[in-house]
Amino acid sequence: MDRRKIDVGLSTFLMIISVIILTNDNLADGGAESDLGILFLPRVVAGFIILFAAIIGIQSLRSLSQGHKPEGQELIATDGFTGIFIYIAIFVFYWLAVPYLGFMITTPIVMLAVAYLLGGRNWPPIIAVSVITPILIFYGSREFLRVYLPTWAF
Amino acid sequence: MIDNILSGFSSILAIGPILGIVLGVVIGIIFGAIPGISAIMAIAIMLPMTFYVDPIIGITMLLAVYKAGIYGGSISAILINTPGAAASFLTAQDGHALTKAGKSGKALDMSLFASVSGEMLATLVLILVAAPISAISLQAGPIEKVFLLLFAFTVIGSMAGESIPRGLLSCCLGMLFAMVGLDSITGSSRFTFGIPELMGGFTFTPMLIGILVMPEVFNVIRRRKVPHHEMAITRSPKPADNRISLKEYRSVFGTILKSSGIGTFIGALPGLGSSTAAFMAYGEAKRTSKQPEKYGKGSVEGIAAAESANNAVCGSSMIPMLTLSIPGDDVAALLMGAFLIHGLTPGPMIFFEHTETIYAIFAGFLITDLFLLGIARSGFKFFVKMASLRRYFIFPCVTVFAFTGAFTAGQNMNDILILIVFTIVGYSMRLVGLNPAVFIIGFILTPFLEQNLDQAFAIVGTDYSQFLASPFSWVFIALSAFFVFSSMRMRKKSAKDQSTAREEAA
Repeated sequence: MDRRKIDVGLSTFLMIISVIILTNDNLADGGAESDLGILFLPRVVAGFIILFAAIIGIQSLRSLSQGHKPEGQELIATDGFTGIFIYIAIFVFYWLAVPYLGFMITTPIVMLAVAYLLGGRNWPPIIAVSVITPILIFYGSREFLRVYLPTWAF
Repeated sequence: MIDNILSGFSSILAIGPILGIVLGVVIGIIFGAIPGISAIMAIAIMLPMTFYVDPIIGITMLLAVYKAGIYGGSISAILINTPGAAASFLTAQDGHALTKAGKSGKALDMSLFASVSGEMLATLVLILVAAPISAISLQAGPIEKVFLLLFAFTVIGSMAGESIPRGLLSCCLGMLFAMVGLDSITGSSRFTFGIPELMGGFTFTPMLIGILVMPEVFNVIRRRKVPHHEMAITRSPKPADNRISLKEYRSVFGTILKSSGIGTFIGALPGLGSSTAAFMAYGEAKRTSKQPEKYGKGSVEGIAAAESANNAVCGSSMIPMLTLSIPGDDVAALLMGAFLIHGLTPGPMIFFEHTETIYAIFAGFLITDLFLLGIARSGFKFFVKMASLRRYFIFPCVTVFAFTGAFTAGQNMNDILILIVFTIVGYSMRLVGLNPAVFIIGFILTPFLEQNLDQAFAIVGTDYSQFLASPFSWVFIALSAFFVFSSMRMRKKSAKDQSTAREEAA
């Protein structure tokens, strides 16, 4: 993947967001008056974002328009990305399922899925780790940290 | 000061802090030694577990994880030529050459002794220097602090990023994210778009784990088809090859002292970090060595130089954080977050408001070195075994720890969403060359900047020339310009060197 194209897109996006921050007064709500003004610092930062994003975007655009081939860090290797997407999906499932199924049930499923994703096929120790770890964390958090992890909600 | 140090030792020499240090050292060495897990990952995962203990126990435990984690990185570097961090790259060159020659025990011993020596020296400098500097920085008012913070943003952004605009853009993005939520001065809500969950801003711990830790898990997942390397200590039939004698240690002691000095100095400057220290110390040691041809091919002196310098950074990187509230690198930023969570605001006042705690932490720093020496020396085989665990045992556990850590911060499922979102943001930042550590530093320092800026405006009223009336202001403006200029020169020089090397290779 050519990072210069991403640079151009990202710089444009950041500049648009920054212009919105600079021009829109409805981004802050309520509160007391101050010497500084509530949007003073965000607007200064937005100004700098426009500056730096423009430098990055223009450099990349110039390199693209001159037909230079991407080299070094300009080239993003995309191999193995499928695994990342699967991992994100597993994590989203974890987030959605824990409030209903509880920590103790969801965690072993998630651990088994991540272990499988990483090439684990040695099931007896993987299952043992996936069951023992959540139990230790659940009771450890409750007894020592007073943190109550979600439980079965049905 | 002596009284404070003694009182610090009396606070730390209790069961709780000692257990915390031992646990921190063991966890740090294991995490540091596992390829793909760095010290910062270990600290971020351990951070939520320290919320509910006394700051002396919690902070010293995190510092023990940090120190031991940096040392642990040299184990995988020496045994399987896989540096856990860039700073261990040089250790890997010389250490692995010794391992191939059947002298891994010698390399591991040298690495441990050099690490502990470097850390102790830097810690002593920290103890002696931090309080006097903080007394000077106490003189600074809001206007001076504004310039100091702007200096910190400029230096860190320009030195740490892939390029100056990318580093500074990372910093600006961190600053922008820090402004989401209720403003602590006026009570206004900013960038909340009517979403009540955003009123409190982004919770620090899940964001931190997402930005700094989880992208490393992504990297491991991407490389999941790379074969697993089993670690093993190679033993020579000659006992002298399996250890470092006192004579050998004495012969490299000068190098250790010099390299520790370089590491301490580099660590105290924001934005440079342990890799720079290791490379500079290694280069200097090679330049002055009687046997420079051995460097890179199994030089014990080379290991001593690289390890003492990169470990010295641990102690001295605390100097700008504790005296000026400026975290010099990603680990210091994380530790600053830990201090804040424990109710200790790093800065000059910490030496007056929390004298006992801060000196107990200093004492813990020194004691950690002794425990690191004892625990690592006696448990090499155990740590090597633990670090050889296959990735499908380690990373499911890391996933669960990250989840639990994010949840622990506020016992709220929304924090898990923050973790997921910032994991994607953190990884995307790495892909496009933005620096996540600079982003975090921008995020942490912005509330301080805004508070001081508000006070400064209240002081000067409409007479804005007062901003430039203090000599401090000019000093920090000059320093910022100098750092940006020298960073530009450094980058130009390294780009020129690279293109020359490429032409020569062609």
